[in-house]
Formats: sequence, structure tokens, C-alpha cells
Amino acid sequence: MVRTAVFFALYREQDRVAGLDVADAITYVWILQGLFAVVWAPWFWEHAEAIRSGEFVVELLRPGDPYLRLAAFDLGRTLSLLVTRTVPVLAVAALVLPLRLPGTAGGLAWLAASLVLAAVVSFQLRFLFGAAAFWTPDYRSMFLLLFPVLWLASGFVIPVEFFPGPLRAVVDWSPLIPLVMAPVRVATGRSAALAVAGQVAWALALWLAGRLVLTVASRRLVIHGG
Amino acid sequence: MAEGLGVYLRLAAASVRATARRPAHLAARFLAAALIVTLEVAGVALLLDRFGSIGGWRPAEVVLLFGLGFTAQGLALVFGDTLEADEVSKLVRRGTFDQILTRPASPLGWVVASYVDTRFFGRSLAGAGTVVWAADRAGVAWTAGRAGLAVLAVACAAAIIFGVLLAAAGFTFVTVQGSEAVDVLIYGGQYLASYPMHIYGSALRFLFVWLVPIGLAIYAPALGVLGRQGPPGLPAWLAWLAAPVAAAFLAAGGLAWRAGIRHYVGTGS
Repeated sequence: MVRTAVFFALYREQDRVAGLDVADAITYVWILQGLFAVVWAPWFWEHAEAIRSGEFVVELLRPGDPYLRLAAFDLGRTLSLLVTRTVPVLAVAALVLPLRLPGTAGGLAWLAASLVLAAVVSFQLRFLFGAAAFWTPDYRSMFLLLFPVLWLASGFVIPVEFFPGPLRAVVDWSPLIPLVMAPVRVATGRSAALAVAGQVAWALALWLAGRLVLTVASRRLVIHGG
Repeated sequence: MAEGLGVYLRLAAASVRATARRPAHLAARFLAAALIVTLEVAGVALLLDRFGSIGGWRPAEVVLLFGLGFTAQGLALVFGDTLEADEVSKLVRRGTFDQILTRPASPLGWVVASYVDTRFFGRSLAGAGTVVWAADRAGVAWTAGRAGLAVLAVACAAAIIFGVLLAAAGFTFVTVQGSEAVDVLIYGGQYLASYPMHIYGSALRFLFVWLVPIGLAIYAPALGVLGRQGPPGLPAWLAWLAAPVAAAFLAAGGLAWRAGIRHYVGTGS
């Protein structure tokens, strides 16, 4: 709400800055609001804590593919957040404020797909950060130092469009774009196809990375548990 | 009374020593607290640079407000972090608070002193650094009066944030579960007060200048530091009102805390 007021004040003197107008900026604010809990899920450290305590071994003993099961379990929770939180927030905001959301069924389907992909990528990133617990019990301090950088680079402070050129170029090719900026781009209809393609590509790349880490790490866990 | 204070000082010293037993861990958390302020400020500076100004204020002048806000928030959290809903909820659910109540000390003094968290000084330090940097960029000629105003802003805003935490903790004793409304008041209020108050509509302005007066505490003294004229209805001399208003708010927070304790019922754990 505060950010909305700030953007309205900022755009009072200008129509369009860095390719964004006030409707784009307000849409960004509310998608951010809706996705916050999905990306930084309250259960962020659940796996890491299970790894440290050794309980994680249960996951590996269960039948079926562990990575797929963890992903499905996480996605269930993030999807329920998307439905109970993100969608209502956006709907209410769209009623009172001039948001720029797709007006067609097709456009809305793209936005829905993009939100789900954001949830998928966020699980995979959270899994990788949690997997640090396989190697160090002090996984949280390391993440704390990294977090401010992720926070800024993923667009949680300002839209990455406002970054200076070189920084923006680096960030645009990072797996942080799928989290917030890609859904915003899909919603505002700027290079929507490209944004979703980027999300899919990162989802696949992180999928491979996550599986690799789990394979290597589960060997470690076995040794560790003796 | 002096002896009573000594107890709390010893408690606080003990909790600081406890965290200092893991210096690398403490350093990492301290650094992380400073880094989050630095990068948040960097983001805001980048955004404002793109636009040139907001409500007639230059980017450096707004960044000064952010610096004051973060310095105050860090100070308040050093002492008040345990008053956040999650932590109070834990104290209640684990039955720790039952033990605290049986001790021959003030429950508030005990809770605050035993959980002093020095890493939040990282936030304050980065915030103070931001103030100095922004003042330099904004061309502020420091005088004793202006420095005094900056200190006043930080002290009052910290008192108000601590007051909100106190009231929220009192509320959590009743609800046991945490409430997101508090986060809105603390973090939302501080974020809001980090932009010049005159850009907001009258409802938000009234709420955060007079009801949760963090806007008054930061904005009015900052006008003096920057040598600016306030908008009509918010003259610069209001800065001196910040101290009594903040004190009154803190007292109200203390009353809410007491009311909360009176309604405290152990969870049977």
C-alpha cells in the first residue's frame, strides 16, 4: 500500500521511466505482495533442519523418486498459497487500482502458468539453499549473508528495469528473474512469451542441478549416518 | 532501584557474552544485518535516481530519511526483537513465561535484558552510515543543532518502534498466535516514514503522524536537518513535539504490555 503511494508520487512528474508507466509499477507492487510468501515460504528451512537432525533419511527411504516427491509436496503448499493469497490480493487490488492485468482468457492462462512456474523455481532454489545443510551445520549464517543480494537482485526492492544497464544484464540472466519479475512481465504483457520461456528454461536447469545435488548429497548422508 | 538496574545489566551482559561465544556466527549475522540495509538503500537510491525527485525532494534527501529510519529500527530491535509475535508466542507456548513471572524481577526487564541481540547494531551502524553519506550528498552543513535533531529523530523513532513491539507483545499474550498487523505497523510504518510524508494521502498521513507517530518522529526533525520548509500543517518546530509524543506512545505501549500480562493464561505446557 505504501509502495503504491510512493509510485503514484514518483510518476506525478513523469509518464514513463525505464519503459515502465505507473500501471506497470503498481502491478509490480501487488504481484510482489502476492508472491512474497510463495517465494520465501515460511517453511524455508524445514528440509535443512531435517538434514541436520538426520530425519531427512526417511525421505530417501520412502519408495519413489525423492526429489519429485519433495517438489510435489512443496508445490501443493505453494499452490494453496497462490489460490488463497496471491489471487485474492491481485483481484482486490485490481478492483481499486489501475493494475495492468491481461483481459483475455488466454492472457490470464499465461499469467497463471507464470505464477505456477514462479512457485516451481522458488522450490528448487530453496531446496538448493537448504541442501547446504548436507555440508555445513551453519547453513543459515551463509544464507543470511547471501540473502540481501538475492533480495535486491530478484526485484524485491525495486523492479530490475530500474537497475543500471550492466547490473540489469547480469540479473536478467539469473535464476532470480523467474521468481517475481517474469510474472510481472507476463501480467503487463511485455515480452510475455520470453518471460515464460525463461522460467521454463530455469525450471529445467534447476531441476537437473537439484537432482545432481541430491544424488551426491544422499551418498554423504549415508556415510554420515554410518 | 540502582541495584535493580544492576541485575538487568548483568543479564544483558550475560546474553551478549553468550552470543559472543561464537564470534564468526555473530560477525556473519552482524554483517548480514548491515548488508540488508545497505542494499535496500542502494535499491531506493537507484530507483530515485531514475526519477530525479519525489514530491520535490532530491534522492539524497530521501535516502537520509531511510538512514534515520534504519538506525532507529536497529536500536529498537536490539532490545525488542524478542517482543516480536513469533518469539512471544514461543515464550507462552513453551511455558517459559510462567517461569519468568515467578522471578523477583519485572517481566519486561527480564525478557528484554535476557534476549539482547547485538547483531541489530549492524542495522543501526549501516543506517548511521547512510545518514552521513546522504547528508554529504545533500549538502547538509552539520551544526550542533542539526546533529541534535538527527539524534532526536533516531531516539524518538526507536522509542516508537519499541512501543509498537510492546503493544504487539501485549496483544500476543491474548491471542498467542502472532499477528501480521504488527509487521505492517513496524516495517510498513518505518518504510512509509522513509519517504517524505507530504507525498501521502491524508489518511495515511494522519495514521503515521499522529496515531503511530513514526512519521512525525523522522520527518519533522529531518526537515530541520535538511534546512527545508515543511508543508502547511507540518511546520518544522513540530520536531520538538516528537520527544513528548514518542514518550507518550512508549508509555501507551507499556500499558498495553501490562494489560496483556493481566490477561495472560498459561497454556498448560
